[in-house]
Amino acid sequence: MRIFSNLNVNWMGKRKTFYIISLAIFILGMLSVIFRGLVFGIDFKGGSEIVLQFEKPVEIGAIRNYLANVELGAVEVRTFGGETGVLVRTELQEIPKTVYPKVVERIKENILSIIPGLEFQIIDSTINSVTFNFPSSDTTNILINELFARGFQTGRVSAELDNTQMLVRVGIADWIKEVLREKILNNTFEVLKEDRVGPKIGDELKRDAIVAVLLSLVVILIYLGFRFKFVFASGAVVALFHDVLITVGLYSILYGVIPGLNLEIDLPVVAAFLTLVGYSINDTVIVFDRIRENMKIHKTMDLEILINKSINQTMSRTVITGFTTLLVVIVLLFLGGDVLRAFSFTLFFGIIVGTYSSIFVASALVLDYSFKSKKKIQF
Amino acid sequence: MKEYRFRLIIIIAAVAMSIYLLYPTYVDYQNNKKIESVLQSKREEFKQSKLSKSEIEELLVIIEDSLKQADPSIIENRLKRLKLGLDLQGGMRVVLEVNTAKLLEKLANNPDKVFNTVLEESFRESESTDESIVDVLARKLQERGIRLSRYFGNIRQEDSEIISKLKNDADDAVSRAIEIIRNRVDQYGVSEPSIQRQGARRVIVELPGVAKEEEAKQLLQGTALLEFRLVKEPEFTYQIMDRIDKKLAAVLSGNDSLLANLNTENPDTAKTKDNSADSDTTNKQLTEEEFRKQHPFFTAALLDPQGRSADAFVREDDRNKIIRWLSLPEIQKEIPDNVEFVFSAKSFTTTEDGKKVYMMYLVNKQPELTGGVITDAVATLDPNTSSPIVNMEMNSEGAVEWARITGANINKRIAIILDGKVFSAPVVRNKITGGRSQIEGMENLDEAKLLEIVLKAGALPAPVDIIEERIVGPSLGQDSVSSGLNSALLGYLAVALFMIFYYRKSGTIASLVLVITILFVLGVLAGFKATLTLPGIAGIVLTIGMAVDANVLIFERMREEIATGKTMKASVESGFNKAMSAIIDSNITTFFTGIILYQFGTGPVQGFALTLMIGIASTLFSALVISRLIFDYLASKGAKISIG
Repeated sequence: MRIFSNLNVNWMGKRKTFYIISLAIFILGMLSVIFRGLVFGIDFKGGSEIVLQFEKPVEIGAIRNYLANVELGAVEVRTFGGETGVLVRTELQEIPKTVYPKVVERIKENILSIIPGLEFQIIDSTINSVTFNFPSSDTTNILINELFARGFQTGRVSAELDNTQMLVRVGIADWIKEVLREKILNNTFEVLKEDRVGPKIGDELKRDAIVAVLLSLVVILIYLGFRFKFVFASGAVVALFHDVLITVGLYSILYGVIPGLNLEIDLPVVAAFLTLVGYSINDTVIVFDRIRENMKIHKTMDLEILINKSINQTMSRTVITGFTTLLVVIVLLFLGGDVLRAFSFTLFFGIIVGTYSSIFVASALVLDYSFKSKKKIQF
Repeated sequence: MKEYRFRLIIIIAAVAMSIYLLYPTYVDYQNNKKIESVLQSKREEFKQSKLSKSEIEELLVIIEDSLKQADPSIIENRLKRLKLGLDLQGGMRVVLEVNTAKLLEKLANNPDKVFNTVLEESFRESESTDESIVDVLARKLQERGIRLSRYFGNIRQEDSEIISKLKNDADDAVSRAIEIIRNRVDQYGVSEPSIQRQGARRVIVELPGVAKEEEAKQLLQGTALLEFRLVKEPEFTYQIMDRIDKKLAAVLSGNDSLLANLNTENPDTAKTKDNSADSDTTNKQLTEEEFRKQHPFFTAALLDPQGRSADAFVREDDRNKIIRWLSLPEIQKEIPDNVEFVFSAKSFTTTEDGKKVYMMYLVNKQPELTGGVITDAVATLDPNTSSPIVNMEMNSEGAVEWARITGANINKRIAIILDGKVFSAPVVRNKITGGRSQIEGMENLDEAKLLEIVLKAGALPAPVDIIEERIVGPSLGQDSVSSGLNSALLGYLAVALFMIFYYRKSGTIASLVLVITILFVLGVLAGFKATLTLPGIAGIVLTIGMAVDANVLIFERMREEIATGKTMKASVESGFNKAMSAIIDSNITTFFTGIILYQFGTGPVQGFALTLMIGIASTLFSALVISRLIFDYLASKGAKISIG
C-alpha cells in the first residue's frame, strides 16, 4: 500500500494562507498564556500534595466541601487516575499555627482511644512534629504501631530498647487525612503519594527548564548550521520555536477544557517539550535533505518548484514517521496513567504541529528568504 | 557468506551481551516470587497462632532475611538486576540542603548584632541569586568597612584568605552531612539506599520501600553524636563472649524459639574451626554442624585465632543475626550494664570469598568525652614516615579532660564512635597534654580524610534543611509498572501491525528487529546500573515509535529506487546509503536534547533522558547494521522482498 504517491501539490503557493493560520493560532495561544496563564504543577510551584486511593468511587465535590473550611488556604481537589483516586493540593508547606493545636488534639484523642486513661507528656514540639513521652517502652512501641496503622507518621526518638518517646509528624497531609477520615466513614482510603516541595526549588526549576529548552534550540541551530546552510538552519529553528510556542499556547487554551485531562506543567512535561524539540526537527531534516539532493540534480530549477517537488516526494515518509510515533503516544495517553497524561498530550500535539511546521513553516521561510535576498540559495 | 561474517559476529555478540546483562533481572524476579510464596504460606501459618500483628511482621522480616542470606546468589543477582525507581517500587525521596547561614553563624567568633543582621540580609539575597552566601556576606561587610577577620579567623588574615577558608568549610559541611547520613542510613537497614550530592549544597537521599517517613527524616536531620569510648581489654571481652556463646547455645537448643530453626539455615565456612582453638570443648571431634550448635555465637563472630585481640570479625550476612541475638533478654543478662557491643562503620572485604566483614568491639557505654570539644581535624601525611595521619585539636576544657583520659589509659584503646558506629580505635601511646593529638594507622589518605570528616562532625554539625520530600506508596508503584508495561506492549503491537500492513515483508523484518532494539535498550540500562522509572518506561515506548522511523526512511527510499528500474540488490544498496544522512541528522538532534535533558533533570526525568539516548543508539545500530545485514543477505540470494 502507498499513500501520496505521485503527489503534485503546489504547497509553496499556499504558504501565505498557512502563515496566517500559524500566526492566528500562535497569537491566540499567547493571548491565552498572558490572560489565562499557565498552570504549574507542584514541581514548579511548591506546596504540599497528597494522593489518596479510596476503596469505592468518591464524589469529588463532597471532598472539596469537606476541605473548604479546614484553614489550609486554597485547597485544590481533583481526581487522580480513575474514579477512586483523589489528589489534594495546597500551596502551604507547613501546617498553619492556628490549625496546629487542633491536629495535636486529634493525635491525643487517638492515643487515648487506643489506651484509655493513659498518662503522657508532650516533651517537644516543632513546626512539623510533636514528641510524646510515655511511661513505658512497651506502651510506646504499641502506640507507634497503632498510630501508624491509623495513618499517622510516627517514629521512635532513639533506637535504644528502652526508648519511651514517640515522634508524630504534624503535617498538611496528616490533617487532610484526619479530616477526611472523620467525614467519610463508609469508604476507607490508602495514601498513594505524598509530596512536599519547597518554593525555592520550584523557582530554580522554572529557570533551569527555560534554559534547557533554549539551550537545546541553540545546539540544534549550531548542528544544522554545520550540516546545511545557515538559512536552512535558521528556518528550521524558527519552525521549532513555532512548534514549542504553539504547543505552550494550546496548553493554556485547553487547560480545564477536556475532562480527565489535567494540563499542568510539571517535570515530565518539560521533558516532553525537550523531546519535542529534538524530534520535531526530524521531519524538517528529511525535507531539507531532499531539497539539497534535488538542488544537486536540478541545478537550474526554480527554487519554489524545487521545494514543492521535494515536499511532494517526501510527504509519505514525513507523514508515516510522525504517524508511527503518534501511535505509541496515543497508547501512552490512554494507558500511561495519570502521571504520564500531560506528558503524552504534549508530545501528541507537538508531533502534529511539528509535522505541519516542517512543511509549511521551515521550507516556506527558506523560500521567502531567498526572494528577499534575491540571491540564489546554494548548499 | 564471508562478507557478512564480521557483522554477524558483532550482532550476535551484542544480543548475547544484552541477554547476559538482563539475566540477573530475570533470576531476581523468580527469586522474589519464590520468597514471596514462602512468606505467604508462613503468614497463613502464623495467623493461626496467637502472635500479634506486629510480632508476625517482625518474624516475617527475619525469615525473609534468612532466606535471602541462605543463598548468596540471591543477593548477587539482586545487585545486578535492572533497578526500579522510587516511582515504580515505592519509597521516600528527600532533598536536603546544608544551611550555610547557620554554619557561618556557628563559625563566627563573637557574633554581634551587626553581624547577625548582615548575615540575615546576605541569606535572603543569596536565596534569590546564584551568588554564594559567603561572597554576599563578605561584600556586605566590606561595604560597611568591616574586615572579615573581625568575625572569622585571626586578625592577621586577609579577607580573601578567610573567604576561601569559609567556602572550604561550607563545602566540607556537605561532605560531612553525606557521611553522617550514609552512616545512619546504613544502620537503619534500608536496602539499596541512594545518597547523592547535587550541586554545591544539596544531598538527595532515596530510600526505597521506606514507609515510616518521620523516623527516616529524624535519622537524616538529627545532629550527629561523636563520642570517645574506651575499648574493653581482650581478656574481659573474651569472657563475656564466651558467656554469651554458652547461654545462646542453651537458648537455641530449646527448640521453642523460631530463631533456633533459622540459624542453622545459614551455611557457614570451615573457618569456624580456627576460633575454637582456645575454647574449652574438645573441638577436634566436633563436626562443623556440632560446632555450630554448641558455639552459635563464635560461629558468627570470628576471633583472631592467636587471641591477640578480642575484636570479632562479623560477616555482613551475620551482622543482623548477632544484633538480634544480643537483644534477646536472656543474652542481655550476660552482658554487664556498663558495656555494649558496637560495629565498625566501614567493612572490608576478605580475600577468601569476597564477603564483606565488619569488626565488632566491646566498649564502655559511658563516653569518656564527646565530640563537642574538638576544634579542628586535618588529614595529612606524616612528614617523617609519609604515612597518612589525622591531627586533631581540642579546646582548652577538652584538652584537660583528654590529658586525664589518655594518661589513665596508656596502651589501651579508645574508639572514635559516630552515631554508634566505630570509625577508628587507636591505641593510646602516651598522655596527651595541650589538646593536640595525632591519630595513625590509616591505610591511605582517603581513610584519613574520612576520619577527619567524622571528627569534625562532632565539632561542626552540618545543619540541613529538608527542601523537598516525596513519598510514593507501593500500590501506586505497582499500578505504574503495569500501566507502563501495558503501554509498551500495546504500543509495540500497534506499530508492528501498521508496519506489516503497510510495508509487508520489509515491515515484518522491521518489526522483528524492533524486538532486538528493545532488548538492547533494556540490556544497556541494566549494564549501566541505571534505574528504570515511569518516564523511563515512557522513553522506551517512545523509542518503539521512533525506532521504525529509520526503517520508514529506508523503505521509502528503496521504493523510489525500485521505481527507477534498479535491481533489488542495487535498490537495497542505495536505499540504505541515501537514507543514511537523514537518519543520522534527525537522530543526533534528538540525542542532543537527550543530553541536555539529562543535565537538567533529576530522578525520573533523568531516567527518561537516559532511555531516550540509549534508545537512539540502539535504533541506529538496529537499522543500519541488523536490518542492513538481513536485506543484503536476502537481496544477494535473489529473494523478492516486498515493500508494500
